[in-house]
Amino acid sequence: MIKKLRVKPLSLLEKVFFLDFLRGLRVTIKNAFKPTITTHYPYQRLTPPKRFRGFFGHKVVDGTEPQPAFYEWVNRYNIKVEYGKSRCVVCMRCKRACPVPQLFEIEGKKLPDGKRVVSVFNMNLLLCTYCGFCVDACPVDCLYQTDLHETASYSRKDAVLTLEVLERIGREWQRRREREPDLIWPPEEERLKLWGENGLKLPETQRGK
Amino acid sequence: MHSFWVDLLVALIKMLVILGVALGVGAFLTWVERKVAAHIQRRPGPMVVGWHGLLQPIADGLKLMTKEDLFPRYGDKFLYHLAILLALVPAVLVFSVVPFGPEFELFGYKVRPILSDVNVGILLVFAFGSMAVYAIALAGWASNSKYPLIASMRKAGVLVSYEVVITFAVMGPLILAGTLSTYEIVERQIEQKLWYIWLQPVAFVVYMFAVLAEMGRVPFDVQEAEAELVTGFTVEYGGMKFGLFPLVEWYVEGITLSAIAVVLFFGGWSPLNVPFVGFVDPLFFLGGLSPFVWFVLKTALLFGFILWLHWTLPRYRIDQITQTAWKVMLPLTLANIVFTALIAPLVWR
Repeated sequence: MIKKLRVKPLSLLEKVFFLDFLRGLRVTIKNAFKPTITTHYPYQRLTPPKRFRGFFGHKVVDGTEPQPAFYEWVNRYNIKVEYGKSRCVVCMRCKRACPVPQLFEIEGKKLPDGKRVVSVFNMNLLLCTYCGFCVDACPVDCLYQTDLHETASYSRKDAVLTLEVLERIGREWQRRREREPDLIWPPEEERLKLWGENGLKLPETQRGK
Repeated sequence: MHSFWVDLLVALIKMLVILGVALGVGAFLTWVERKVAAHIQRRPGPMVVGWHGLLQPIADGLKLMTKEDLFPRYGDKFLYHLAILLALVPAVLVFSVVPFGPEFELFGYKVRPILSDVNVGILLVFAFGSMAVYAIALAGWASNSKYPLIASMRKAGVLVSYEVVITFAVMGPLILAGTLSTYEIVERQIEQKLWYIWLQPVAFVVYMFAVLAEMGRVPFDVQEAEAELVTGFTVEYGGMKFGLFPLVEWYVEGITLSAIAVVLFFGGWSPLNVPFVGFVDPLFFLGGLSPFVWFVLKTALLFGFILWLHWTLPRYRIDQITQTAWKVMLPLTLANIVFTALIAPLVWR
């Protein structure tokens, strides 16, 4: 369907004295003398919010794993848990959730004592869409998306994250931002500044009736 | 014989000064334009090279000079290079008839700060201005590519229409001054104690529109039309050859046409004017420098206004542009000439 808009034609006065031009000129000159609002990029950088979907990392075992899920999975697959190493239990759920599964290369290996451990975990980020499905699928809170976003590299090989790199990113993330409160909304005072007070009052819902 | 050598030396010095000013200021204006555009869009603009990006034009020039020089297959090499010369030379030549200030004495010699005070100065300006069409048409043709050709056709259409209009628009001030020499036009305005803008507002508005069209500025930048034609007729040029076209078209021509507008409508180097009463000079403390400062100030303000317009308005369609030229501007200027002829005896006295 075509929506027809009726625009008021310019009056003779407006045409003769270019009033619409002058209106536009007023807007631009006003903006020209306001302070600038951009970030001076390579010299100033913004920190993305905690939920930013950037480069991937493997969180390592440090005592903050989600319990009891972590030990359930560890016991099911007979995984060897080592402090400071990846939490990965090689369940392959990330690969199944992924829209481009071939970007994952995951292998586990059996140690002499019968326990299992992840040995290969490659992610080819040239194929990745950064949708975050793999992160949602991870049952032990291991695979995670960090706030690293300056990901340009000189070769295709550099765009493949190996297990070692993933662990390094994860360790750095846990040290830097793990304890930060996970804010979906900005803090209350910032939110009020942005959108103002919510004046609408709904009737209280009755539970269990 | 002695005075001949002195005249030659003075002319040479003037030439060097004018060339330096034209090209140097032209390059520097790229920085000004980028700053104005940026602040209107609330960005800081170039900030890295030098204080607030002040050395950016030099960096840009170096970059352009070290770039690979491409030439389109099956292009016409002679015309391709001729177009650059045809764009640059007439635009700089126009400076030869721009009077920068009144006559002054230096070491006992009287010096007029104008390169050649020919008695058909204004005619020369528009003759050189019309030569821009050749540069653009040749550039478009010699590139052997669709975009430049379309762009040059568009620009030629716009230029042909607005050359007519601009010539009729300046007829008003010329009638009031009774001379074609740029230097004398300013002197007349000082004698008559009148900036011609007060009696010729219509001519001024039409002149400004024509300047925008000649410079290829918004709202008449159909020959560039980034969204449609990439960069217009400069598509197939590379390196400094590419840099010269906008430098000439936007900046050198911009300064000359602003300067000519100042000469015709704002009394050249004269200070602020109260019509028919006299002049008020708030810059009297500068003494002999004051006229030069006034001239530069007025030209700069006018050029700034053109920049301001450029970053405000959207673009017209090519048919709307030519329609405005032939159906609105031309009758307006003709009516203005009749009006001027009627009131001219009042001004002459």
